[in-house]
Amino acid sequence: MNDLWNNLNGSPNIQDGGEIGVVTQGSLTEGVEMKLNPDRSVEDVKAGKFVVIEGYKNQFFSMITDLSLDATNPEILLYPPREGDQLLHSVLNGSSTYVTVALRPMLMLEQGEEIVDEPRPVKTIPSHFSKVVEAEEEDVSRVFGSEEKDDRFFNMGTPLDMDTPVCINLNRFVERSNGIFGKTGTGKSFLTRLVLCGLIKNKKAINLIFDMHNEYGFRAMKEGGQGNSFVKGLKQLFGNQVALFSLDPESSRQRGIQPDHEVYITYDQVAVEDVIALQDELQLNPTASESAYLVYAMYKDRWLRQLLSIDGPDVEQFAEDIGANKSSLSALHRKLKRLENFPFMVNSLNGADAVDTMMDYIDRGIHIVLEFGRQTGMLAYLLVANILSRRIHEQYVTKSEKFYASQNPEDQPKHLVITIEEAHKFLNPATARQTIFGTIAREMRKYYVSLLVVDQRPSGIDEEVLSQLGTKITALLNDEKDIQGVLTGVSNASGLRSVLASLDSKQQALVFGHAVPMPVVIKTRDYDEIFYKAMGDLSDEEKMKKAEAASAAIFGD
Amino acid sequence: MALSSIDISTEYIGEIVESSTSQFTSESRELNGAPPFGSFVKTLGALPVYGLVFNVCTHSIEPNRRATAYGLTEQELREEQPQIFELLKTEFEAVIIGYGNDHGPQQVLPPQPPGIHSFVFPCTESEIKALTNSGDFLRSILCGNRLPADDLIIASVRNAWAARASDMPYLVSIGKDLCRLIRDDYDRLSSIMRRISQ
Repeated sequence: MNDLWNNLNGSPNIQDGGEIGVVTQGSLTEGVEMKLNPDRSVEDVKAGKFVVIEGYKNQFFSMITDLSLDATNPEILLYPPREGDQLLHSVLNGSSTYVTVALRPMLMLEQGEEIVDEPRPVKTIPSHFSKVVEAEEEDVSRVFGSEEKDDRFFNMGTPLDMDTPVCINLNRFVERSNGIFGKTGTGKSFLTRLVLCGLIKNKKAINLIFDMHNEYGFRAMKEGGQGNSFVKGLKQLFGNQVALFSLDPESSRQRGIQPDHEVYITYDQVAVEDVIALQDELQLNPTASESAYLVYAMYKDRWLRQLLSIDGPDVEQFAEDIGANKSSLSALHRKLKRLENFPFMVNSLNGADAVDTMMDYIDRGIHIVLEFGRQTGMLAYLLVANILSRRIHEQYVTKSEKFYASQNPEDQPKHLVITIEEAHKFLNPATARQTIFGTIAREMRKYYVSLLVVDQRPSGIDEEVLSQLGTKITALLNDEKDIQGVLTGVSNASGLRSVLASLDSKQQALVFGHAVPMPVVIKTRDYDEIFYKAMGDLSDEEKMKKAEAASAAIFGD
Repeated sequence: MALSSIDISTEYIGEIVESSTSQFTSESRELNGAPPFGSFVKTLGALPVYGLVFNVCTHSIEPNRRATAYGLTEQELREEQPQIFELLKTEFEAVIIGYGNDHGPQQVLPPQPPGIHSFVFPCTESEIKALTNSGDFLRSILCGNRLPADDLIIASVRNAWAARASDMPYLVSIGKDLCRLIRDDYDRLSSIMRRISQ
């Protein structure tokens, strides 16, 4: 008898790819509802799962956004079947008590149609009682493309409970600024590293990475890993396609890394805009920028050096000389004094200018990782990222204008993607309008520069910037404001909200926006030996063999 | 089922004495020998007719006379007053739930009621299965006049279930049909299902 019951209740028949329910009602704006087949257990149906609704003419690729338990008779809810009354339980299951699944059709394709370029938005809904089936492997590759087809596609992971890769279209990805979001510890850095690997391997853009925590360049810690808990960085995977710059060469050397270049910044390279961007960090008054501009008007590029060279009591006299407010200028002076503590701030450069070197590398198609070493303070990060990006952007504007004038393909600048972490510090509503990153995020790729924004607090980012981000890759977020922030600029966001809040805290992400035809929840690709190999990295043994073969070719046996 | 395969003289359990499109009444072959309440029976005519026993009664053969209490056990009565048993008869009533044609048992009322004096037989297991493969027979019970619907459902479903060797998925599917037919009357459903599975 018990076996009989087990067949009825405990383990419903699950056939992969089988029918999971039928469409019962819905609307184009609210999404459609499906009644779950009674032989399916509700616990096997997860939010974010990729399913296909088989209409008469079209297939609707949809995502499960919500699940609810319903009953036709409220009395059942008041007097539930007694424990052990399995017969009544089974009888009610699917008839009087049933499961409704909310689906959001994301993409519509005619039977047999392939996605050519622009995916078609959903303009209608499936008819009553259309079958809903689990997506099959071929559906996934039909919608998301596959790496074998084209170098446009880059494998990011697999849909929930499936093995077929979900690819993002890198061509479309680099067309806009993009964002990677997620709470601390949800794998943002891994997602970022994955995307960067894709861009480098498929040569879609040059990357400039402001690596605050030293986790992209060389090896990085793997969270929760056992045994060998370090993973390879970009430099290890791509060798001389990646150059390591360091703000703190000593720290790099201590970690056993020899940076390709050391970065120093002179006081003359700091513009007033760079200081304004530090408003929050330095707690500058609103009048500080006016005072700074007054100094700048007098001393031009040397303004900061001049200001910092004055000592305490002389500041008031200096303020009087230039016609600035005494207390405002002395506050600015006091606060900017902190910059003198940074070892990378120097009066004059010994070698080449960091930006010139970087531009040289970028022109040669080499990607740059700038390590901050022990300079992990927000102030240093903001200052350096702002100064370097502003100057690189200036050069890009010149280059692009030259290209627009000459229309000579050789003059076309290489597309640059700047990766910044803790992006809400650069792009918060107060500073986004003034800093260089706000400008880049808004002007899109007009000047061949776009951003890859990595952040754990998207609600802190200016809405205008968020809505301009093309593709968003989001790991788990809990805070309602953050979820709201990420979904800014997304139509029909209500369904995605519950999906976002129900992601696993590891290795799961929601990808949506410009680079994918429809939003999808993925289990992200493992960052392991197989991945290294796919990126063209060789194992130690293979490297040895290759070296031997090369030396044999040169020197003979 | 072909007539020839049944030994009519020995296997019949009753003979029809009153017949209509929806119900028939039979006199039992033996006193107190009626088929059990809720059992499936059939008549064999040009078209076999299938029914479900919903009432059994034993009374005097003369309409105007009633049996009298003697204060004796049945054994003592049979020894002292054997004639009184000859003056009693058992009748059973059945609600018609279907008839048979070339395609086997159909769950619809027959075009003609069964003939008077037709013999009544118990249904075979395969016939019971064919008549109860969907919940339609429950609708006949629920729509019938003066039927003890709930108890008849319980008894008939138990019989149908027994014919399927107590197959649980069958009981669940009948339960689902019933749930729909009684329009989600949760109290009634839970009471019926509890009593079926007892």
